[in-house]
Amino acid sequence: MKYLQLLLPAACLISGLNASATDEIPGPRQTKPIALVNAIIHPVTQPVVEGTLLFRDGRIVAIGKKVRMPEGTLVIDLHGRHVYPGMVEAHSQLGLTEISAVRATKDYRETGSLNPNVQANVAVNPDSEAIPVTRANGVLTSLSAPSGGRISGFASVMNLDGWTFEDMTVRPRAALIVNWPSPPSSGESPGLKILRRVFNEARTYRKARNAPNSAQRHDIRYEAMFDVLDRKVPVMALAHDAREIQAAVSFAIEQQVRLIIFGGHDAESCASLLKQHDIPVVIDSVHRPPRRRHEAYDSAYTLPNRLHKAGIQYCISGSETNSTWNARNLPFHAAMAVAHGLPMDEALRAVTIGPAEILGVADRVGSLEVGKDATLIVTDGNPLEITSHVRRAWIGGRAVQLTSRHTRLYDKYRQKYRQQAAEQEAAEE
Amino acid sequence: MLIRVSSFLVLISLVSSAWSDDRTVQPAVGLRENPPSVYALINARVVVPGGRELENTTVVIRDGLIHSVKPGGIAPADAKVIDLSGRTVYPGLIDAYSEASLPSDHLENTAGHWNSQVTPQLSAGTHVEPLDDRETLRKQGIVAVHRAPADGIIRGTTAVVSTGDGDAGRLVLADRVAQQLELTASQRSRTTYPGSPMGAVSLARQTMYDAQWYAQALQVAQTSRVPRPDINDALAALVPVVRGKQPILVETSDEQFALRADIFAREFGLRLILRGSGSEYRRINEVAATGRPVIVPLNFPDAPNVSTPEIAAGVTLESMMHWDLAPENPAKIHEAGITMALTTHGLSSKENFLKQVRKAVERGLPKEAALDAMTIVPAQLTGTSHLLGTIAPGRLASFFVTDGDLFEADTKIVETWVGGQRTEYDPAPVVRPEGIYELRMKGGRTTNRLFLNIKRDGSSVSAEVSKTLDALRSDSKDEEETKDVADEEQKADEKQSVDKFEIQDFAATGQFKEEEGRARFSLIFDPRPQPKQAAALGRIVWPDGAVSTATVTPVTLADSETDEPGEESEEDSETNASSFPVNYPLGAFGRSAAPEAASHTVFVNATIWTCGPQRVIRGGMLYVHNGKIVGVGKRLVIPDGAIVIDAKGMHITPGIIDCHSHMATDGGVNEGTQAITCEVRIGDFIDDDDITIYRQLAGGVTTSNILHGSANPIGGQNQVIKLRWGQTGEQMKYRKAPPGVKFALGENVKQSNWGDEYTTRYPQTRMGVEQLFRDAFTAAREYGSRRQAWQRTRRGLPVRRDLELDALLEMVEHKRWIHCHSYRQDEILGLIRVLDEQGIRIGTFQHILEGYKVADEMAKHGAMASAFADWWAYKFEVYDAIPYGGALMHHQGLVVSFNSDDRELGTRLNQEAAKAVRYGGVSPEEALKFVTLNPARQLRIDRHTGSLDRGKDADIVVWNGPPLSAFSRVEQTWIDGRRWFSRDEDQAARKQIAEMRNTLVQKILTSGEKMKKVGEKDADPSAQWARYDEFCRASGHSHSRQQIK
Repeated sequence: MKYLQLLLPAACLISGLNASATDEIPGPRQTKPIALVNAIIHPVTQPVVEGTLLFRDGRIVAIGKKVRMPEGTLVIDLHGRHVYPGMVEAHSQLGLTEISAVRATKDYRETGSLNPNVQANVAVNPDSEAIPVTRANGVLTSLSAPSGGRISGFASVMNLDGWTFEDMTVRPRAALIVNWPSPPSSGESPGLKILRRVFNEARTYRKARNAPNSAQRHDIRYEAMFDVLDRKVPVMALAHDAREIQAAVSFAIEQQVRLIIFGGHDAESCASLLKQHDIPVVIDSVHRPPRRRHEAYDSAYTLPNRLHKAGIQYCISGSETNSTWNARNLPFHAAMAVAHGLPMDEALRAVTIGPAEILGVADRVGSLEVGKDATLIVTDGNPLEITSHVRRAWIGGRAVQLTSRHTRLYDKYRQKYRQQAAEQEAAEE
Repeated sequence: MLIRVSSFLVLISLVSSAWSDDRTVQPAVGLRENPPSVYALINARVVVPGGRELENTTVVIRDGLIHSVKPGGIAPADAKVIDLSGRTVYPGLIDAYSEASLPSDHLENTAGHWNSQVTPQLSAGTHVEPLDDRETLRKQGIVAVHRAPADGIIRGTTAVVSTGDGDAGRLVLADRVAQQLELTASQRSRTTYPGSPMGAVSLARQTMYDAQWYAQALQVAQTSRVPRPDINDALAALVPVVRGKQPILVETSDEQFALRADIFAREFGLRLILRGSGSEYRRINEVAATGRPVIVPLNFPDAPNVSTPEIAAGVTLESMMHWDLAPENPAKIHEAGITMALTTHGLSSKENFLKQVRKAVERGLPKEAALDAMTIVPAQLTGTSHLLGTIAPGRLASFFVTDGDLFEADTKIVETWVGGQRTEYDPAPVVRPEGIYELRMKGGRTTNRLFLNIKRDGSSVSAEVSKTLDALRSDSKDEEETKDVADEEQKADEKQSVDKFEIQDFAATGQFKEEEGRARFSLIFDPRPQPKQAAALGRIVWPDGAVSTATVTPVTLADSETDEPGEESEEDSETNASSFPVNYPLGAFGRSAAPEAASHTVFVNATIWTCGPQRVIRGGMLYVHNGKIVGVGKRLVIPDGAIVIDAKGMHITPGIIDCHSHMATDGGVNEGTQAITCEVRIGDFIDDDDITIYRQLAGGVTTSNILHGSANPIGGQNQVIKLRWGQTGEQMKYRKAPPGVKFALGENVKQSNWGDEYTTRYPQTRMGVEQLFRDAFTAAREYGSRRQAWQRTRRGLPVRRDLELDALLEMVEHKRWIHCHSYRQDEILGLIRVLDEQGIRIGTFQHILEGYKVADEMAKHGAMASAFADWWAYKFEVYDAIPYGGALMHHQGLVVSFNSDDRELGTRLNQEAAKAVRYGGVSPEEALKFVTLNPARQLRIDRHTGSLDRGKDADIVVWNGPPLSAFSRVEQTWIDGRRWFSRDEDQAARKQIAEMRNTLVQKILTSGEKMKKVGEKDADPSAQWARYDEFCRASGHSHSRQQIK
């Protein structure tokens, strides 16, 4: 029974005839070892291996030319297909919104400007139709991030499969999202002043709260910031302009907090600063127009390569243009960077281990290594190439379906035209 | 001690009342005032046209008019004589354009135009009060202002108004000079027509046709027994315009608007005067080719802010170049042979007018041309040459007098006359006692000599006294660096400043300290000092009450120094020329000229995706000559001397065609204020300055269908362009493309996502949308019949030409293709049924995200589908959109294309085509057609472009890899056999841009000029208009920055 279910997704995609009438069903827990044999394995962090990848209890246990398989191993012959780690989208609103024009479906923007206490994963809808659509292109893990205001709240790293948001959650507090204030045309930045006040008060608050016989009453906003003050969770600052990036870095040093730059259009010009303080950049999108009229037409397309050459830690996100409904296009953002100079290996890293490291989940996802989650995809070609296909996927050893609302509708209307053809044939006879 | 000079700075003599009796019906009040009004200005240098100057001339003025101008002439006996020795008399300047808001309340409940922006019956000449800024203007030598109404689209008539004082009736020198228009909308609106520049032009065009009709209909009604057309004051006011008797004056906000205004005027055979923008230099040849006169502002911008590298990074090359080039605009206009008048319009302060004129002269405008542009040219343009512009008998006594060449920086206007009314500036004080004097005293004291140094600094005077001349003399040398400090201190001891020093008319008074108290003096200067006589007589009252009388004589200093001006300004002018020539469009990536047409050029060894019958040719040849493809194949016979390009490893495809774009227009994209606006035309506003054109060219796009947005069921007319970056909007138009129009269905047109207040415009449901189409098509048919009938019978009033119904009629008559934004299958089928009934075949369904559900019905109708590859879920009606849609429709036999509808997506449409392979398994060869041949078929241009076939336009893209690979990149893009983009040239341009930026940043920093505020940009009229369909896209990016208060 289990065996059948594992094969089902591929069958669906290929024939289309056995379309499931229901939504995608989350994969069951892995109960027996699975060996992918005759595979070209791309661990990303290590050289390519032609051989076998074995995973058990949701974890990768062996990769090699020859792997000893325990008894009861389910062997899947990939006939030379490729195995890659699942891709990681470093910024999205998956699960937090369904249809952006329909207000009732929007859960990413809390009111007010200071919301350090809200946390994205609790509002992620596991039944969002966007999740299977994204997964089908090999993006198996994503950061779901709140937005808006000055401090938007905590973003959560989610696996794109599960019955509940708790099943899906990899890291509930991966980063505190801050919209970095644009510098004013002159003088002190009012936005920066507010941020400084909030961070300083959070510290004072904790001290007061911990004092013996403290009379300090509770404040849920400040409570939420302790992990950031303790450098357990970084601030992810949306900053594009060089002056914003400079200000964000200075602020992080001043406040002794960890920082991720999100956006980073001008990051190359801040290279020494970013490297000096080990601050990574999440490039918000490769598919975007140049920031300024006089920039080169490909300035967004070359940004990953420029950051790579400058030695800045970075990863690629597809967020700016496709934060939810086309988060599935993440691999194509990386491909565009390749077309404009980024080495292929680097591009692959930039959507797998790169984001995993920046988001603090590299111990579980982002590469194929023994001990990590069996979160991986099988493809018939380079996963960044548009004309390739993802054939199978596992998240933490759970086989996930690659069908979606889209394949269901596709199958439904192919059926319409098949019926018509059949009717016509019958009429002609 | 400094104090203000108390003499008058400005003297105004009111002399005009003498001749008032003959010109007014107003009775005299009290005693009659008849001051003498005859003047003779003698010994003057008079500037006359042609740059000539009459020396030693007498100008006689009688009753506010110039009576005679004669070199060496004799002053009449009855004249008050004014000696202008050393002075120059210039004809009074005319400010060729000045805006004034006119009240329009009185138009309510009159027979005006239905649209409040059309008020041609207003007149700047009937709402005249003495100008608020007349004193400022006079001080700039301006004697008259061409006033234009400030508000609306067709605004009302202009008038020439004197800068004199007095009654409105006298100040208006000429009325109903020109009809003032602005052919754009002042702000965007979703409710009030017109809400876009496109709509404004359409309204103006319709109104001109209406005026033509009105004149004709009135005539018909007079001669036959038919009811006259409704009286309409607005249309009546436009009759002189459409008959060519009154010019239109069109305000333009950049050089493109000037070219557009010319097209507008040509459509109706109108006389046109352009109110320029200051950016004419950017298309100087095209502006000159219109042959229209231009009223040019002197709005030279402040330098862009480049104070830090980070701030400078945000400054465009365009704005740096504009700063560098704008002061040469008047010179370039003059060189191009354009008739030019100058205006104060656009200056932050009118006090700077002459300063800016001088800057223009310094930057190449000949002085004579500058003077003409402020005198005879505006006089001619406004029909006031008989009154203004020259100093000649019969003209108004409106001129000004300077102490030197008007165009030299330190020349001052000393008096301005307006219609005989004289205003003097800084009149020479009766006495000008600056200098060192010796006071010889008698009585009161043993001392018999005292020295006084009177100094002036602007309007302040001060004085010092000393017992020795030396002490004062050292000071008069402007305290050169003292070699001997001790000596200097000693001298300083001997002199002291005078307290309460004041010069009042003839008298200089003050106090100085004595040992016992304070001494006071008063000196009475002689207003007509004779050589070798006392300059003044005075007395000094000492602290003890003793009185000395003083005889005051000037001390002549042998080595007296005067300032030597002029040296600095000469230095400036050498370094002042602009650093870089104008490129097209101005700024980064602009071209210096169009690329050359390839002649007998052959690509060899390429993989050629023909998208035609020859399919894919590996190792093929492509032969281009004279803009066309003359051969494509495995082996071609090529002539000797042909240019061979080895394209080994390269792939060549047809140019990409984007069937749905909103770039390259500053017309607003949507005229969404009404449900039907098919009278508006995207083609009226092709914006050649949109950098997206270049970026998409770099992505292989050669042809783009610029569509109206989706705000209403029947939107505006589209314009197909070829991406000839660097050419004008008109030149980019692809004339072979048949006309089209935008339709839209669903949520956008029923205002579903516009906000809660938009619930009343018809239609609000898909039911209503369907009915609106039926209604419109039927109305168009009836309109067509009525027009035909009138042409035939000429009975009744002529049928008014209606631009909206014209366009609808063209659809009904198969002359205009419908491109319909559509999502849901019910609305798609619904429109198909309406069109079937009307016998109309649709051009394309656009977006068509549920087209896959009714592909069979679309095929039956003959519809084609121009879709997004994979957009979905950004609003409710696209929740069923699937990326397999394109493949499903293709497999049902539809002609399918993938479009961008987006400035960035348009740079990688080849990758969108690849999605048809990924989702649904279309072959790569067929998928490529989704962005080449298929959109060409949909735009009905496939006979000319879309595939690499012999005889077609040489629109080609050279790729460095397979065109459907996401890892491939465009190397070259060719249009009509010209290489409009190449990576090599682009790389070179980047280097050049960096160098230019650096040069200009340094120039700004070293100029010492005032810089703009951080982030402050040049006024860009196109910036307020969207270049995307605001109703079509997802409602904002999810994490877009929000304003936080």
